[in-house]
Formats: sequence, structure tokens, C-alpha cells
Amino acid sequence: MRLGMVIDLKRCIGCYGCQIACKAEHGTRPGTTYARVVKREWGVYPNVKKLSIPVLCMHCAEPPCVEVCPTGASQKRSEDGIVFVESDFCVGCRACVMSCPYGARYFQDEQRDYFDTGENEYEQALYAAHQAGVVEKCDFCRHRLEQGQEPACSANCMCKARIFGDLEDPNSEVSRLIREEGGFQLNPELGTDPSVYYLPPDR
Amino acid sequence: MGERIDWRTGETMAFPDRLDLQRQDLSQVYRPQREWIDGRGLLIVIAHFFSGIGAGAWLWSTLYDFPMGQALAIGCVIGLSGVAHMAFLGRWDRFWRMLRRPHQSWISRGIWSIGIFGLAAVASMLPAVRDSAAAPVVLGLSVLAATAILLYEGFVYAASRAIPFWRTRLLPVLYIAYGLRGGAALLLAVAAFGGSGFDVRAVEVIKLWVVVSTAVLILLYLVSSTRSGGAARESVAQLVAGRISPAFYGGTVLAGIVAPIALALSRDALGLPELVLLGAIGLASLVGDFYVKYCIVKAGVYVPLVAAEGVGSPG
Ligand code: SF4
Ligand code: SF4
Repeated sequence: MRLGMVIDLKRCIGCYGCQIACKAEHGTRPGTTYARVVKREWGVYPNVKKLSIPVLCMHCAEPPCVEVCPTGASQKRSEDGIVFVESDFCVGCRACVMSCPYGARYFQDEQRDYFDTGENEYEQALYAAHQAGVVEKCDFCRHRLEQGQEPACSANCMCKARIFGDLEDPNSEVSRLIREEGGFQLNPELGTDPSVYYLPPDR
Repeated sequence: MGERIDWRTGETMAFPDRLDLQRQDLSQVYRPQREWIDGRGLLIVIAHFFSGIGAGAWLWSTLYDFPMGQALAIGCVIGLSGVAHMAFLGRWDRFWRMLRRPHQSWISRGIWSIGIFGLAAVASMLPAVRDSAAAPVVLGLSVLAATAILLYEGFVYAASRAIPFWRTRLLPVLYIAYGLRGGAALLLAVAAFGGSGFDVRAVEVIKLWVVVSTAVLILLYLVSSTRSGGAARESVAQLVAGRISPAFYGGTVLAGIVAPIALALSRDALGLPELVLLGAIGLASLVGDFYVKYCIVKAGVYVPLVAAEGVGSPG
């Protein structure tokens, strides 16, 4: 099994719902957004085009982040291809941050709060799971998968722009969409073979 | 925005803090790397500077039998570079874990090299070892480890698949050359400021040759980078005409290349005592050696997430 995601750029309306759902799910500190939405504009007025591009860890089949990690903290699960960080092993050398072409990794430097009033109960509860001085990233919501749920970002996308599934199953929805709708990967020339595919916005 | 006190005026001023910069970076096509240069990230450049010149100094002082230089080399690699490495890590208390993957990670190989160098170099200086039959083996091991230190630094950067400016075999070559010239520069500076028992003339000739060849290497590196795609071109642009150009021209070019050559060529006109002149050449080179590493690391930008012309065919 190779878990992956298809992101339909025609369906995404750039509402940041996935970004917020991810932050709510993982309780990450300010500055850390495992799932985020990049906005890009092209052209010159009046011929302009704007695109919202949701991104997350691409769970690369050939992950350069795992290759450079000196401690073995960055790992790829053989059973489903999920790339994750074992926080207890991480020394915070940030070599993985340098080698990830998709900006998917966040060094937990300052333990900053969202509000001047300090941490609320929700933050206290969720921040406890995050260590300082290590690198963190999306893990396709491993804890939700174990309960039979899909990742928070795709589950909460109201436009169904993020579709989660098994890339190795030719009958899965993700495989069908990639095949029939012209799915493509970001930066394929880097040889990372991402497990996140995009569907063109103008099809 | 964060706030800080302007030390010149005493006024409170707003400044873009880490998160503001991060937000700003994420909206750019070419996102600069910051983790290995900004804030505590500068410590990794400092660490690589000291381990590079320390390993270089070890090789030269072993070649010319200069115990003071050897002691200094150990101080640079184990003391200064070691402390900077530890201070850089997010979790220094787990540093030993970096020894776990030498088969795959250049950082791991580097930590092994530094460790072996420390043990072998210190042992080789102990009278009990120096006078024993094991002396050549221990010294040989220290030389091998010092060479490995010179080698690994460039490969740490070259292994970063996301930063095209670093992803070239020329970078390790440049780091080796700069380590060797930095080591020689350190010994020249030491000799000038009271070090004795060292044949400075021998190293001076080699030093000048290395200064000239590193200049050629930098040129080669920049020219080849302009042919390695948009992100590498952007890095070169930032170096030669952008945000890093003051450090590049002032530190790398002026202090590191022009000054040592000019000082050597105007030896007679300046009429300075020999050792002072050599010390000045050494110091200028050391500044240049630091700045070349600083500039290369600072100029790293990530390959764009989305090509400048868009995704699919947005028109
Ligand atoms: S997107 Fe980055 S963090 Fe995720 S697997 Fe690929 S290289 Fe690693
Ligand atoms: S920061 Fe942590 S996960 Fe990343 S390469 Fe270093 S040890 Fe591995």
C-alpha cells in the first residue's frame, strides 16, 4: 500500500480550511503549518490568473529528508509509505529542512504562543505533544488513520479538493483521478517521486 | 512584527521577526534558506569555518612538524567547532545519535571524522604515544580524519536536494581548497604573532598558489551555477548583485582574494617586516575564508514549489 493524496486545483477555492483543520488537529505552534495553502498570481492586469495551491508533506517515495538524516529520526514506513519524524531521536540539525524541496518541515525553535495572555487549556493539552528543538512535519494524521479516519485536511475540505487514498490500488479514487484527469507531481525532475498529485486547474 | 531597542538611538523599533520572515518567504517564488544562517543558524557556518581551518592547519603543521600549529588545530576542531556545533543543535543532549547513520548521512560521517580526529590527534601529541611504535599509525589516522573533515563539509551542503546552488560536486572541492588555505592562513598568522619553529616561507608560497586557485574555483562555481536552473541563478544573482553582495565583495573577494595577493605583490613597496606582512596575509585570508562559507550558505534558495510560469497552464 502507498498512501497518497490528489489535490484538485480546479476545486480548491483557497479558503484555508485544510490549514486550519490541520492546526486544530495537531495543535501546532505559530509558524508551523503542516498543511498550508500557497497563493500564486500570474499575468498582468487585466489578463491575470490566481491560483490556490494546497501543499503538505508529499510523502515522497524517495524522500531526500530521510536520506540525509544522521539520527534515523526521519523515517518512511514500509507498510504504507508515510514519512514521519520520530521526535525522540531528532537532534534538530535541520539537514532534512535543507533537503526537502516542498517546505514541509518546521524546526520547533521558539516556544511561542498565539495570545499574549499565554496558553489556553486547549493549547496546553495539545502543545504537550510537541517537543522543542526538533523538526516536525505532516504524518498524514497517523493517529486518525489508526481509527479508520482520513487525514484532517482532506476530511475537512468542503470542496472535496483533497482526496486521500491508496496509490497502488488501481481501482482507488486517487488512482482513477490521476489516470483520467491528468494528475501530476510537483518538481518531478528532483527524483523524489511525491505521493501527492495535483489535477490541473484548467481542464 | 516584533520589537527591539535600536542601540544607536535607544528607541523601540519594529523589526520583522522569524515568523514574519517565514510568512514573507512562503509567498516568494525563491524561498531563501534561513535555518542554517539566521539566528543560531550562523553557528553552523562558524562551526564549519573552525573545523575546516583546524583540519587544514593540522595537515600543514604535521607536514612541517609544527607542534604549536597542531595544538591550535585541535583547539579549532574540537574546541571551537565542537562548541559551535553543539550550540547549534536543537537538542545537543542527543548529539551522540548523529553517529548512527554513517552509511547514509554526510553529517554522521562528519561527526565520526571529528571524533576520530580528536582522539587520534590528541593521542599523537602525547609523549607516551609519540615515542612509541604506534606513533605513525596514530598520526596517519589523524591525517586521514582531518582529510575526511575537509571532505565532509561540502558534501553536507551538496546533499541538499532542495537547494540547487549547493548541489554540485564543485562545492566539496571548494570547501577542501578553503580548508587548506584557511589552515595555512592560520599558521601564518600564528607565526607572525609569536609562534616559533615554523618555516613560514615554505607555506607562504603554497598559500599564494592556493589563494589564486580558490579565486579561479569560485569563478568556476559561480559560472557553472548560472547554468544549473533558475534557483541556482537566483543564488548567484543574490551574491553578485543582491542582498549578499556586500559580504561577498567585502569579505570573499576583497579580504579573501584581493588583499592577500596585493599584500604579497607589494611586499617591497610596503617595507613591512616579513612576519608582519605574512601575518597580515594570513589574517586577511582567514576573514575571506569565513566569508566564502557565510556567503555560499546564505545564498542558498530553495527550488521553487511552483514554476514561475505557473501550474498546468494558468495562462
Ligand atoms: S515532502 Fe519533504 S518532508 Fe515530505 S517526504 Fe518529501 S522531502 Fe520529506
Ligand atoms: S533535524 Fe531531526 S529529523 Fe531532521 S535531519 Fe536532523 S535529526 Fe533528522
